[in-house]
Amino acid sequence: MLNRLKKLHWLDWLVLAVVLSFFGYIWWKIEGTLNYNWRWHLIPNYILRFHTEREEWFANVLLQGLIATIRISIYASILAVILGTILGIARCAKNLTIRMLARTYLEFLRNIPPVVVIFIFFFFLSQQLITALNIESWAREIARSDNRAVWEFFFGDMRRFPSLISGVIVLALFESAFVGEIVRAGIQSIPKGQREAARSIGMSRYQEMRYVVLPQAMHKVVPPMANQFITLIKDSAIISLISVQELTFKTVELVASTRLIFEAWITTAAFYFVICFGLSMLFRRLENRKT
Amino acid sequence: MNITRRFLGAALGATLAATAALPAFAQSTAQDIASASVIEAIKERGVIKIGLSLFKPWSMRDLNGELIGFELDVGRQLAEDMGVEVEFVPTSWDGIIPALVSGNFDTIISGMTVTPQRNLTVNFTIPYAYSGMTILANTAMTEGFTLEDYNSPDVTFAARRGATPATVIADMFPEAQLLLFDEDGAATQEVLNGNAHATMASEPTPSSEARRYPDVLNVPFNQAFQAGGEGFAVRKGDPDALAYFNSWITAKTNTGWLKARHDYWFRGNDWADQVPE
Repeated sequence: MLNRLKKLHWLDWLVLAVVLSFFGYIWWKIEGTLNYNWRWHLIPNYILRFHTEREEWFANVLLQGLIATIRISIYASILAVILGTILGIARCAKNLTIRMLARTYLEFLRNIPPVVVIFIFFFFLSQQLITALNIESWAREIARSDNRAVWEFFFGDMRRFPSLISGVIVLALFESAFVGEIVRAGIQSIPKGQREAARSIGMSRYQEMRYVVLPQAMHKVVPPMANQFITLIKDSAIISLISVQELTFKTVELVASTRLIFEAWITTAAFYFVICFGLSMLFRRLENRKT
Repeated sequence: MNITRRFLGAALGATLAATAALPAFAQSTAQDIASASVIEAIKERGVIKIGLSLFKPWSMRDLNGELIGFELDVGRQLAEDMGVEVEFVPTSWDGIIPALVSGNFDTIISGMTVTPQRNLTVNFTIPYAYSGMTILANTAMTEGFTLEDYNSPDVTFAARRGATPATVIADMFPEAQLLLFDEDGAATQEVLNGNAHATMASEPTPSSEARRYPDVLNVPFNQAFQAGGEGFAVRKGDPDALAYFNSWITAKTNTGWLKARHDYWFRGNDWADQVPE
């Protein structure tokens, strides 16, 4: 640390001073014009609170939202990887119809704003799916039964399960288009010789994909996939619009109840930042170790 | 002779069958309507699902993150009287009517004012609450303003998008500018920051905000504007649900229960320690 400080040129110090005074000025302006009673002391209670009646610590709205966001991100990315891999393979298929279908899906998603896509998927797809599969009454049965603890660990409040699932489906469908493109790039980056070699030793097209192309391609696409996962966490904020009880939605609720506008949003921003930045650090280290 | 008698018999039989079938047909239609009602679905499920959007003090989260408020009292009592469980589905205000129409919940109990426009999409019960709105103004910016002075292009209002205050403001002050936000807190903040002259909301929110920022905010007029009625919203084509909710509201109005709950949340301050001011 000290060594690094010594390496700084006087120009670096100047730049640092200018930046600091710039932020100081903005802060001073905000304090002057913003009429706001800061009530930071209320925020910790909305993350973790001691329940005076039940006499135990429990996760309050903000932490509940954060946990929900993490759950949704994990499930949605698993689903997105599965769908995206299928999509990526379809994009490289010999059959023109399959290729065109995959292309249509992709272009549809890439050229429509995420918010619009989310609404369309929600009302026309995930809603119908949930009604058709009768997921709601099934989830309610679990919520009423005694062995709900395991389910709640994985999915949170089972009464809100349908909304969680539609959030996961919508998000996964949306992200699968981008995962698909990553997979396609991975497949196409495998030298032609590899595929020809596979065919020449008598492998079928399926075996060629399964044993030669995909293992190499998947290895190559890990870094962009990790990146896409972080994007997915950030994108998950959009599904608050379809009332999935994740971090952003809970923050809106908290603001509506307490008027802690700035404290609540700054805290939420910090949550997202810590998770996404932490993950990107982790992925970078894993990558460095590999090479 | 023989043929004619047989023919007569057949004709008689046909007529008899037809007269018997007609009321049966009418009856089955009535049964269809009754069994398709959301009331039947609620009884069968054992759960009533109520959509709401958080709006202080109609509904809000307390210190423990639990939902409390006037709507919650109404919803819980309604469920108890129906003998079913209650599930509240917090939904963003923008999408609450589409969510009802697409079947996410059985009814909206969320301080929704009955307006002809909304009535084109959903049906409303008779009002279960009446709330008037008051103006919450930035004291320094609106010094000496009469009510007419607010109706000028130089005046800016802030309000929550899609909510009744936004409509009322556009109605009462057509000349004024209107800034729209996704929730109430942001609208109030704009008034606090001096970016808007005033906002409108139903009491007691304006008074409590004015108490928190006595130097900046005030409630300039002691009257409530456009006291509208709030009703439950249900999907169209369901006469049974409307009938049931209407008689429930009538019964609860007659016993004074609704007024007592309304006064507790809207006039009193007894619940203030459950939510941080």
